Amino acid sequence: MTSSKKVEKPQGSYIKKGRLYVKAVFTGFRRGKRNQHENTALLKLDGVNARRETNFYLGKRCAYVYKAKNKTLVPGQKRLNRVRILWGKVTRAHGKSGAVRAKFRRNLPPKALGRRIRVMLYPSRI
Amino acid sequence: IMSTPSAKTASAGSKTKTSTTTTTVVKTTTTTTKAPQQKLATTLGAGAKVKKAKTTPSGKKAINAHSNRELGSNGLMRFSRGRMFRRRALYRIDKWKGAQAKLQGDKTKKTTGSIQKKKQRRSALTKKPVGGDRNGKQRLVQTKRTPRYYPTEERQKKFSVKRKRFGDHPRRFRSTLTPGSVVILVAGKHAGKRAVVVKHLSSGLLLITGPHKVNGVPLRRINQIYVIGTSTKLDLSSVKIDKLDDKFFKRVRSAKKNAEKDIFDSKKEKTQLSDERRQTQRDIDTAVLAAIKAHSDSRLLRRYLKSRFQLWNGVLPHKLKF
Repeated sequence: MTSSKKVEKPQGSYIKKGRLYVKAVFTGFRRGKRNQHENTALLKLDGVNARRETNFYLGKRCAYVYKAKNKTLVPGQKRLNRVRILWGKVTRAHGKSGAVRAKFRRNLPPKALGRRIRVMLYPSRI
Repeated sequence: IMSTPSAKTASAGSKTKTSTTTTTVVKTTTTTTKAPQQKLATTLGAGAKVKKAKTTPSGKKAINAHSNRELGSNGLMRFSRGRMFRRRALYRIDKWKGAQAKLQGDKTKKTTGSIQKKKQRRSALTKKPVGGDRNGKQRLVQTKRTPRYYPTEERQKKFSVKRKRFGDHPRRFRSTLTPGSVVILVAGKHAGKRAVVVKHLSSGLLLITGPHKVNGVPLRRINQIYVIGTSTKLDLSSVKIDKLDDKFFKRVRSAKKNAEKDIFDSKKEKTQLSDERRQTQRDIDTAVLAAIKAHSDSRLLRRYLKSRFQLWNGVLPHKLKF
């Protein structure tokens, strides 16, 4: 039914961009019981529950998106924005249950624990 | 090529017969050992009694009498290179000699019957006339002079010919991204839109188009890593894409030679789309649209290209079949 509906696109289409990233949660830093290494973050990807499922996500770029008080210029945007991003990439699987390790350009701040991380669909290998 | 294995064995010591036949007859003065004979038989051609006669696609006989094998799958061979050389004894065969001569560019080394000419070496000293009546008229001078300058350090080795520059590296394209496939753009301004791959460019980039009328994606280059290939394919064999290459799409930068750039002038020069580009866009798009129409699911395809890709709850890309 919905496929027969023609999408009307006026000047400057306002078809909203859908989600093009996979939702993930920053669960913690790589650690042993008593020592933690903040350079590597552990991510729990939505819907990924086995190690073999993580293969798709290896190498994908991930972003920690957050807001700050001061407005700054964001590349691609003309207006100053409060949104800021920390970029990183998924490096390898972590454990058997679909968790994944990621390295960010700068270490993730601990207040990001439990917060949303976006795992993009690029660099694509399919 | 005449096959004369029997003749060979009979004329083990003779050289005369070789002149009329092919290059592959061995010139042996002593009694030949079995191995080279066997090899010769394989190199001669059909009719020769050989255990395993294999022919390479080019029609040449492959010498299979002494084969090598891998020990396990680690690249180690049973017999080393030097060992194999001795076992195969190719140096006995004139065909090999001829090939070697060709490689070395020595024109004197020809087929059987020719005597190898010695390279004419220039003598180390030459006589040069000398002026003056009391100087003996001639001097023995070195033909090749010793250099005037010896560098103290070793000269910096230049870029080896074997090492390829990045520009010469082969560009590989994913098998899912053939010209005519529909792809999902996953990054950039047109992220989420579906486009058609028009061409593989020599720089490794893909050339894609919406078509522009359908979804606003222009004829543009994009890197393969920002693209997901789908299984939907169009037949773009009729599209003329010869003119399209990296040069055509390269950004034209205005030469800013004068340093009159105002510090406060933060305006970036907008790239003006040339008429040629617009025309090419129209041409390619009409061809692509024709290909879409020719497709069995043309109506669905058009709507498919208009639609956007997105993820929603429960949709997991690692489980999707694109």
